[in-house]
Amino acid sequence: MSGFDLGALDAESWHRILAGLAVTCKLAAVSLVFASLIGIVVGTLRWANLPVLRQITWLYVEIARNTPPLVQILFWYFSASVLLPAWAFVPLRDAGYEFSAAALALSLYHGAFMGEVFRAGLNSVNAGQFQAARALGMSFLQLMTRIVAPQVARITAPPMVNEAVALVKSTSLALAIGVAELTYQYKHIDNFMFRGFEALMVITIIYLTLCLALSLFGRLLGHRLSRPRGSAPGQAAA
Amino acid sequence: MNWERVWTATNWERLLFGNLFSTGESGGLLLTLQIGLLAIVLATVIGAAIGLMRNATSRWLWLPAAAYVEGLRNVPLLILVFWAYFVPPHFGLQTSKFAAVLVALTLFTSAYIAEVVRGGILAVPRTVVDSARAIGLNWWQIQLRIVLPIAFFNMIPALAGRYVVAIKNTSLAFLIGLSDLTEIGRQISNHLMTAPVEVYATLLLIYFVVNALLSRAMQQLEDRRRFGRLFVRL
Repeated sequence: MSGFDLGALDAESWHRILAGLAVTCKLAAVSLVFASLIGIVVGTLRWANLPVLRQITWLYVEIARNTPPLVQILFWYFSASVLLPAWAFVPLRDAGYEFSAAALALSLYHGAFMGEVFRAGLNSVNAGQFQAARALGMSFLQLMTRIVAPQVARITAPPMVNEAVALVKSTSLALAIGVAELTYQYKHIDNFMFRGFEALMVITIIYLTLCLALSLFGRLLGHRLSRPRGSAPGQAAA
Repeated sequence: MNWERVWTATNWERLLFGNLFSTGESGGLLLTLQIGLLAIVLATVIGAAIGLMRNATSRWLWLPAAAYVEGLRNVPLLILVFWAYFVPPHFGLQTSKFAAVLVALTLFTSAYIAEVVRGGILAVPRTVVDSARAIGLNWWQIQLRIVLPIAFFNMIPALAGRYVVAIKNTSLAFLIGLSDLTEIGRQISNHLMTAPVEVYATLLLIYFVVNALLSRAMQQLEDRRRFGRLFVRL
């Protein structure tokens, strides 16, 4: 077999590629939501430096960041039934076990990186501002939503988008446990329809478009957020 | 828990060396390190070259370099591995699994290292370069003797991060059938059938220890005298 011919991809192949793209997007979206939540919680806990939680969150971040995401996916796929209590495991299983295990592993993996992003963001807020807000009589909630959150959002947005791009790429690892995402569909088309080269080309372009669009969005967001609040484009900061 | 069934001498031998002593074929952690360290060295050299190109003023240099970096960074490594392994046979070229993983991992890592190098070079003070030119060094001498050593010293923490990622990424080798550490662990787990938690936790532990040692080794280089002894007086 040789030669490159996009026309050789039949309707079923295209259907498979689109179905794979849908699963990839779904897995990335679900993992992104949970990874961000984990990141916010872990980042805040690491920043707050509470006695016992400090060691626990440190251990979690170190293990998650220093071991391969692929092995973490395999670990959760084979261990979730043993390690998780029934009330946590049953909904995961019913939601489609391969997908859930991949989402769980990717959320925990990228959540650790996002936690570090949030911790750095919180550290960048000047300590004097907390005291100033307190002195003005703001409640903790007001302090967090009006003073801290806007600054942290501005600083963490670009690295968070980078992490989202990494997450989209990581979803390809879910093929190891049989999640039918894009890369899995490539293997299927290659094995059963012998049109691997063409399918690989199409899938590479899809990933490139997805990740580049996300990176571009991140860059625009960074520019937008680095503008002082309330000033219009082109208007100099007062 | 079935730790005693997992942590047997035979299993440890296979995890660390694969079937090296029975078939003579490298595997397990040894293969993981062979791929990982080779990719790290090659990617650092290529990344330094691409990083230098990205800072060039000529469009013919920085545009291809930018395309190289953006193209490689925005595709999953697994897709690159498939390109390196499944596509060359279409053009009548034989590929080996080891070479495919090594090439894909090297290119992928080099794109990230190029960005690190670019940032590191930009951070070298302009005055240092001007002084080097003033004492009559040519472009190559300035880059190799002045700019890169200073830049690399400042880049050690960022490089250490990329090296850890490279070691983690070697685990993709098992997806095209190499018996690296992850594959050996999978085989042991499939064979035992009843101890997946213990086997995969062991795998995580081994990767963790390797990466912690790598990070520690890179930290040692942050001592200027040590760095100078190793790299600058060559």
